[in-house]
Amino acid sequence: MGKAQLIRMLQIIAAVVIVVLAVGLYRAKSDAARTQAHVRELQNEIEAREAALRELRAEIAERESPANVEQLAQDRLGVAPGSANATLPEGEIARRLPAPERAREPRS
Amino acid sequence: MRPFGATGAVGPQQAYVAAEAAPARNRVRALALGIFALLLLLAGRAVQLAFSDDPLAEPRAPGAAIVLPRGDIVDRNGVLLATTVRAYALTATPARVWDAPAIADALRRVFPDLDRETTIRRLTDTSRRLVYLRRGLTPEQRTRVHELGLAGVGFEAEHHRAYPQGALAAHALGFTDVDLNALSGVERGLDAEIRAAGAEGRAVRLSIDIRMQYALEEELGAAARAANASGGAAILLDGRTGETLALASWPAFDPNEAGAAPASARRDRVAGDLHELGSTIKPFTVAMALQEQVTRSGELFDLMTPYVVDSSTIIDHERIEGASTLGDILAHSSNIGAARLAVRLGGARQRSYLDRLGLTAAAGLELGRNQAPLAPMARTRRDIAGLGFGYGLAATPAALAGAYTVFTNEGARVIPTLRALAPDAAVERAPVFSPEVTRQLLIYMRQAVTEGTGRAADVPGLLVAGKTGTAEKLDGAAGYDEGRNFSSFAGVFPANDPRYVIVLALDDTGEGAAGGMVAAPAVARTLRRIAPMLGLRVEARAQNR
Repeated sequence: MGKAQLIRMLQIIAAVVIVVLAVGLYRAKSDAARTQAHVRELQNEIEAREAALRELRAEIAERESPANVEQLAQDRLGVAPGSANATLPEGEIARRLPAPERAREPRS
Repeated sequence: MRPFGATGAVGPQQAYVAAEAAPARNRVRALALGIFALLLLLAGRAVQLAFSDDPLAEPRAPGAAIVLPRGDIVDRNGVLLATTVRAYALTATPARVWDAPAIADALRRVFPDLDRETTIRRLTDTSRRLVYLRRGLTPEQRTRVHELGLAGVGFEAEHHRAYPQGALAAHALGFTDVDLNALSGVERGLDAEIRAAGAEGRAVRLSIDIRMQYALEEELGAAARAANASGGAAILLDGRTGETLALASWPAFDPNEAGAAPASARRDRVAGDLHELGSTIKPFTVAMALQEQVTRSGELFDLMTPYVVDSSTIIDHERIEGASTLGDILAHSSNIGAARLAVRLGGARQRSYLDRLGLTAAAGLELGRNQAPLAPMARTRRDIAGLGFGYGLAATPAALAGAYTVFTNEGARVIPTLRALAPDAAVERAPVFSPEVTRQLLIYMRQAVTEGTGRAADVPGLLVAGKTGTAEKLDGAAGYDEGRNFSSFAGVFPANDPRYVIVLALDDTGEGAAGGMVAAPAVARTLRRIAPMLGLRVEARAQNR
């Protein structure tokens, strides 16, 4: 193979490499953009769920607040905190607060 | 095409051309080599990327998935006290608003307290691109407004500070403004830490126990209402570590609607209000006298004769018959006895002890405001005597509670804090009294509860030791007003192995409403409720003392 042919061959190879790289770069950038959009979407979803979770935690804390629990204890059990009736026999609690219905037996 | 010129036989002319073209060829070759090297580099990087891990799949840098402007605040057991939730600002673009009165009327159906005229004025303010109509909308309110389909009205996402416990621990927590700037309480005292916690996705843990906080607030409120007090303050400390288990001010307010509460309700009275402490300071006077050996435990005093100092006559509320001991001075809250001991001690030594007890400096709780005491130097024997039974020094209940930690640490004082401490955290203890003197004082203070003015604070099984206080309030130039008192109780428990400190005070109680009558019973009721939470057992009947 002559020198000129060698040079031509190298030129062709270089051109092919450039084209392949250009196509590869385009695809890589497209994929990256798609992935970034997906990540943003996931990030937004995480933020929304996190916000909802915080709201739920706040609601749980509100429902479990001592004032709320005390009110429920007074309404459902007739028990006032710090009072002589704060301790009830087990049977009495069962009578005042009926146990939940038993779970159904799973079908065989 | 021959990119690098002709080849073959070379004539003179051609040789000249070739010689002239040689540098150009070299430049082209160099350029080609450069491009080739660049391509090689790019190819190498492509190969590296192909075989390396996906950078997007790498774990995120340490830190929170969601960055919040303020972190959560939780109690010592992890119960949520304050959090940041999503909210919306109701906005409008005046240029797009056609019928401002109709929009204002529609919005008032969702927000009845929305001022119609103000809303119309904002909606028609075309000099502004965007106006805010309301802040801190909940998602439900946003949905309701959205369903109205109002042209020109929109929403902006924002954060909102929520306090799920409502009014509970409101003074301790404080609150923020609509832009989440801290205004009071721990929100302000630990502002930087709460912001950092929000960025890192963690919570700030306080030393408060919300169950004890509730019991303390309930009993303080009940006592204040019963005594027709204008205000109340109470604090419960783990006296060994200084951790504040509960601190309450009355009247209370809801930090979720802090703007609607009167300023008097928003005021923290534990670390923010100054009062002359009255007789709750007497145990320190006795301890100082014992420590400085200006008296001894067996000394007997004549408390029947009024004590005249600098032409002022000091008397007791009730005449104490017979020879009295140091224990009797505390049990019967004798001003005469405390004044005599204070004068024996002298102003310099008295001041030194008051400084070391932390009664001449702000308490240093992590709150928005810690009121510095009014503690002028006692220059006359009369001033020194007055200080001996609690006049001439105005401090906060928080500072008093901090001083009482000397009785839970064998004479050393710890500084109260609102931060939850790790079990192995080092606690700084500043010695003030010797363990022997402290033990002696515990016996006297127990006597004050079993036989003296603090009988109503006794809870069988808890071995409460403490001292009542009833300080007449200053009424401007008219002097002290017998009809207005600052009634309090300060104590430690259990006396055989003291660990906890409690101070409860009621402000502006009426004539005759002594600390032993209005504050001590509230302390007993509180302790009955919180004793099981502290792992202490309350006995149904009084035990041998």
